[in-house]
Amino acid sequence: MQHNQTVARRLRGCKGYLYLAPSLIILLVFTVYPLIKAFAMSFCEDYSIIDGSFKGINLQNYQDLFADEVFLKALSNTTIYVVFVVPLSILLSLVLAVLIHNSLRGKALFQTLYFLPYVTSVIAIGIVWSWIFNSNYGLLNYFLSLFGIPAIPWLNDPHYALAALIIFSIWKSLAFNILIFLSGLASISQEIYQAARIDSTPRLRVFFKITVPQLRPIIVYAVLMGLINAFKVYNEVFSLFQSKAGPANSAITVVYYIYDKFYNSGDYGVASAAAVVLFVIILVLTMVQKSIAKEKEEA
Amino acid sequence: MKITIEHLTKQYGDFKAVDDLNLEIGDGELVGLLGPSGCGKSTTLFMLSGLTEPSAGRILFGDNDVTTIPPEDREIGLVFQNYALYPHMTVLENIMFPLINRKVPKQEARDRAEKMAAVVHLEGLLNRKPKALSGGQQQRVAIARALVKRPKVLLLDEPLSNLDAKLRVETREEIRRIQQEVQITTIFVTHDQEEAMSISDRIAVMDRGVLQQYEKPQEMYLNPVNEFVANFLGMPQINMFEGEITADGVWLNGHLLRSRQEMAAGQNLAPGKYRMGIRPENFELTADGPQQTASHVRMTGRDLLVFFKLDETEMRLLAHSDRQLERGSKFSARVRPGQLTIFGADGKTLAKV
Ligand SMILES: Nc1ncnc2c1ncn2[C@@H]1O[C@H](COP(=O)(O)OP(=O)(O)OP(=O)(O)O)[C@@H](O)[C@H]1O
Ligand SMILES: [Mg+2]
Repeated sequence: MQHNQTVARRLRGCKGYLYLAPSLIILLVFTVYPLIKAFAMSFCEDYSIIDGSFKGINLQNYQDLFADEVFLKALSNTTIYVVFVVPLSILLSLVLAVLIHNSLRGKALFQTLYFLPYVTSVIAIGIVWSWIFNSNYGLLNYFLSLFGIPAIPWLNDPHYALAALIIFSIWKSLAFNILIFLSGLASISQEIYQAARIDSTPRLRVFFKITVPQLRPIIVYAVLMGLINAFKVYNEVFSLFQSKAGPANSAITVVYYIYDKFYNSGDYGVASAAAVVLFVIILVLTMVQKSIAKEKEEA
Repeated sequence: MKITIEHLTKQYGDFKAVDDLNLEIGDGELVGLLGPSGCGKSTTLFMLSGLTEPSAGRILFGDNDVTTIPPEDREIGLVFQNYALYPHMTVLENIMFPLINRKVPKQEARDRAEKMAAVVHLEGLLNRKPKALSGGQQQRVAIARALVKRPKVLLLDEPLSNLDAKLRVETREEIRRIQQEVQITTIFVTHDQEEAMSISDRIAVMDRGVLQQYEKPQEMYLNPVNEFVANFLGMPQINMFEGEITADGVWLNGHLLRSRQEMAAGQNLAPGKYRMGIRPENFELTADGPQQTASHVRMTGRDLLVFFKLDETEMRLLAHSDRQLERGSKFSARVRPGQLTIFGADGKTLAKV
């Protein structure tokens, strides 16, 4: 009896893995294997993807990588990008989410509006935004001209290309963040807000002392996802600058660099090394951020 | 602070949650707002707090009309049914919060919060988060938070409904103690009649949005104005039945409950059928008279609750627990003088005979 039950339980366990098998296989083939492969390739000097030959196993790829000014540029661009996009996007979407949440009328309209960028192809949006950024006819410059600011060659001047990319990306990331913040706001008990009114809490204090702490787990999640996605920025560059990395590579990012090394230059080893560097950066940041979040949770 | 409620009405579509409520609450008085679920107690309380806007009527605090004043400026303390503590703040931070909002200097806010915490016996728990507190402790934090800003009015919405029986009695005594200590006008919502009777100076009973009676607990219990109030107050419930009045007296199914001679002069009720009520404690056991049979008997501690049938009508009778009564026992009983309540067709109390 006892024995039969254990067997039955074990069989049931096997059945569970069977259900998982298709996704596990896909995960292994398309995620785990390439990861290991890229890691291995990064240590192979002059690796050839055609016959798998290489000169030797060493750190040559990493030396080349850090000697490459384009990579350093990509790294610094990506860092600047992350530093601006993540906090600004979170802050802006949080404020917008609260405004949308509090405005009873027009909620449905807003819901469509903020969801639109999320479901539309990045490429299409990129084309629209390249028009918005157009120095002669663009909406943005028209808007700025109302305040007496002269036309800015957003996409054609290396000085502004990264700024344009950042503005575009913040706008694009709003949809997802607003969505998760709204769902978080909806789950906060109304009674706490009523209590806050009875306690005569000023509006800003309600936001900082009640809404933000209540949304903390969601904010932590949004920051984490934002960080990871921002470090991996590529589509946005590709679509905004019509498959280039901005004028004179001025808006090149790490992933764009990896792509370029791999497909255009055929430097598989260096591309892999860059991928590993990016992987390590994201891993470290994620761990740091998680431990900070946990510390605050316990405090 | 005296509170005057005039013609207060709250309408949701065609439905009147509160219907033309008039109430006057004296300074420092504790009023229990009592009624079954959905009768409009919370709605009334929330209109007093300003969180719900009345459809009609006025609310006066002292001589000031506060009907259109937002909750922020009403100087009230409100304890919610589920306490609504700020979950991410400690006990001390919760109690200090209303003070900091009013720009009380931090040190003073701290001192006042600590003093208030001592009043509700929360010392030693000041650095805990609400989720690490028991229901009773959370409730006391909510009361401290409501009182620390020295409000003019304290409103409590079924604050004890989440507690177990023993804690419930303890905390309601505590609420009474604190209320008397700080001498604050208090409105206490509950659907528990015993709770309302034991701590209120006066009780307002509501049914379907309409005020039924507003009276001191004892007076209300002894002299309910109508069938609803008579039914709602008292545990075990009052015995309700349809009886008949003839020239000879008051009858139930051929049993004479009260003869004409026993009835006071002037109680000239026209012959006919009436709704009547007898509280279980208003039967008294007698040595002689028609015999009844106990269909079952329940020991409640102080009393014996005896069920018996007066022909078709089930009756409950309370006897002292030292009586030797059990299932099947024979006994005689009569209704104590003046304790048989007669109701009119509209449910209003006509007389007690
Ligand atoms: N926003 C609303 N819209 C429509 N009807 C409402 C609304 N709020 C309350 N009601 C109705 O008003 C009536 C009174 O509600 P209220 O919350 O005051 O009851 P209550 O006496 O506090 O009951 P309970 O003891 O269950 O808390 C109920 O029938 C309820 O359904
Ligand atoms: Mg209620």
